Amino acid sequence: MSTSPSPVATPAGGVISLARWRTVDIVVVAVVAVAFGVVFWAWNYVWSALDPVFAAFKPAEYLISGVWLMPAVIAPLVVRRPGAAIFAEIVAASVSALLGSVWGLDVLLSGLAQGLGAEIVFALFIYRAWGLPVAAIAGAGAAIGMALHDIPIYYPPSGGYDMGFYVPVVIAMLVSGIVVAGVGGHYLVRALARAGVLRAFPSGA
Amino acid sequence: MSFLPAPLEPVRPAILRDVAPVTRLVVAAAWLLVAFVGVDPRVPAVLLAAGVGALVAMSGLPLRASVRRMAPLVIAAAGLAVLTLVVHPSRSDPAAATLVDLGLFRVTVAAASAALALALRLALIAVASLLVFGPSDPTTFADSLVQQWRVPDRFAYGTLAALRVAPYLAADWSSTRAVRRLRGIEARGPVASLQVAGARMLTLLVSAVRRGERMALAMDARGFDAGRRRTHFRVIRLGRRDALVLGAGIAVALVALIVGALP
Repeated sequence: MSTSPSPVATPAGGVISLARWRTVDIVVVAVVAVAFGVVFWAWNYVWSALDPVFAAFKPAEYLISGVWLMPAVIAPLVVRRPGAAIFAEIVAASVSALLGSVWGLDVLLSGLAQGLGAEIVFALFIYRAWGLPVAAIAGAGAAIGMALHDIPIYYPPSGGYDMGFYVPVVIAMLVSGIVVAGVGGHYLVRALARAGVLRAFPSGA
Repeated sequence: MSFLPAPLEPVRPAILRDVAPVTRLVVAAAWLLVAFVGVDPRVPAVLLAAGVGALVAMSGLPLRASVRRMAPLVIAAAGLAVLTLVVHPSRSDPAAATLVDLGLFRVTVAAASAALALALRLALIAVASLLVFGPSDPTTFADSLVQQWRVPDRFAYGTLAALRVAPYLAADWSSTRAVRRLRGIEARGPVASLQVAGARMLTLLVSAVRRGERMALAMDARGFDAGRRRTHFRVIRLGRRDALVLGAGIAVALVALIVGALP
C-alpha cells in the first residue's frame, strides 16, 4: 500500500512514476490477460485437435506454442511497469483455472514460469528498453520458462526422453517464443498504439 | 452466447467449501510436489485415490459434471503415456523385462511403469485442480488471498473485476469471426490463417484495452485507489476445519511418499 496520495491518471506525455501501478495499469493488464485467457480457451481446442497430427513429430507442435507466451510480452510493452509479465501470465492462467479447466493448477504453474522468464529479460534492461529486440528476447525468455515447466512435467527424463527429443522441442519453443510472442507481440502493441487506445500509457503517449 | 463453460459450483454442503481457498491450495501444492518428486507410480496412485475420495465425499461438486470436465485430460494423458511407451530407451535394451510383446512393438516393464506414473500424475493435476477451484467462487478466492496471504488488494480486486468481462471478451472473439465470414474474407491455407488470427487478436485487444480503461476510470471515481487501508467486508478466518483439512492432506502426502519408498 502506498502511504502518499496517489497521482490522478496522468494525461498523455505527463511524467509518471515508473514503479507505482495506477488503477488503469492494473485493470488494463488484467483485462488484456483475461482476453488472452479467453483466446487460450479457444486455442486449447486447436492444440488438442492438432495433437494426433503432430504425434509423429511432437517438437513440431511447439512451433505454435508462442501464442501462450504472448501476454508475458504484450502486457509489459503496454504498461511498462515492473512485474507486468508475471502479473499478466498469472491472470491469464487463472481464467482457465477459475473456469474449471482440469489443468488449472498446472496452468498457473506454467504461467508463473513463462511470466518469470519474460520478466527477467525486461528487468535485465532495467525496465528501460521496450523495442523490437527486447520484445524478441523476452519472447525467448518466456519460452525458456515454458521449457523449464513442460519438460519436467510432461516429458520427464524418467520417461526415457533423451537429447534427441529435448533439443528439437526447445528449439521449436524458442523459435515460436521469439517469432509469435516477441515479434508478433511487438507489432500487436504498435497496432494498438496506432488504433489510439494506449493514450493512457507511456507506450501510446 | 459464449463458448466459455459455466464454472463448476458445489451443489451440496461440504467441508472443502467451508475452508479458506488458500488451505486447499497449500494441500494441492504439497500433493503435486510429492507426485512429481516420486518416480514410482504408486506415489501418484495413492494421491489420486485420496483426491477422488475427497472429490466424492468432501467437495460438494456435482460428480457427473466433474467427470465430464476431465474428458480432454484423459485424452491428453493417454497420448503422453503412449508417447512414453514409444520413446522409452528400455525398448532397445534386449535385457529389459518385457511386459507385452506385439511382435513389432515390445512394451517393457520399465516403459509401462514410467507411462503409468505420467498418466496418474496428469490425472492428479485434474482432480487437485477441481478440488482447489471448484468448491468456492473467484470472489472468495480473492478475499482469501488478500486476507491470508496479504496479496496487495488493488491487484487482487482489480483482477477480480477484470474476470467479470471474460464472457464479453469471449463474445467479442466469436463476433470477429462472424464479421469476417460476413465480409467473405475467410482464411485459406496456413499463412492466411495466421494473419487472420493476428487481426482477430488485435480487434480483441482493442476491445479489452478500451473496456479496461473504462473500468479503471469508474473504479477510480469510486475511490478504488484512495490510498487508505482497506477493511474487509467478507471476513475469512482460518479455523479448526482448515487445520483438519491441512493435517489430513499432509498426512496423505506422507503416506504416498512412504508407499512409494516400499520395495
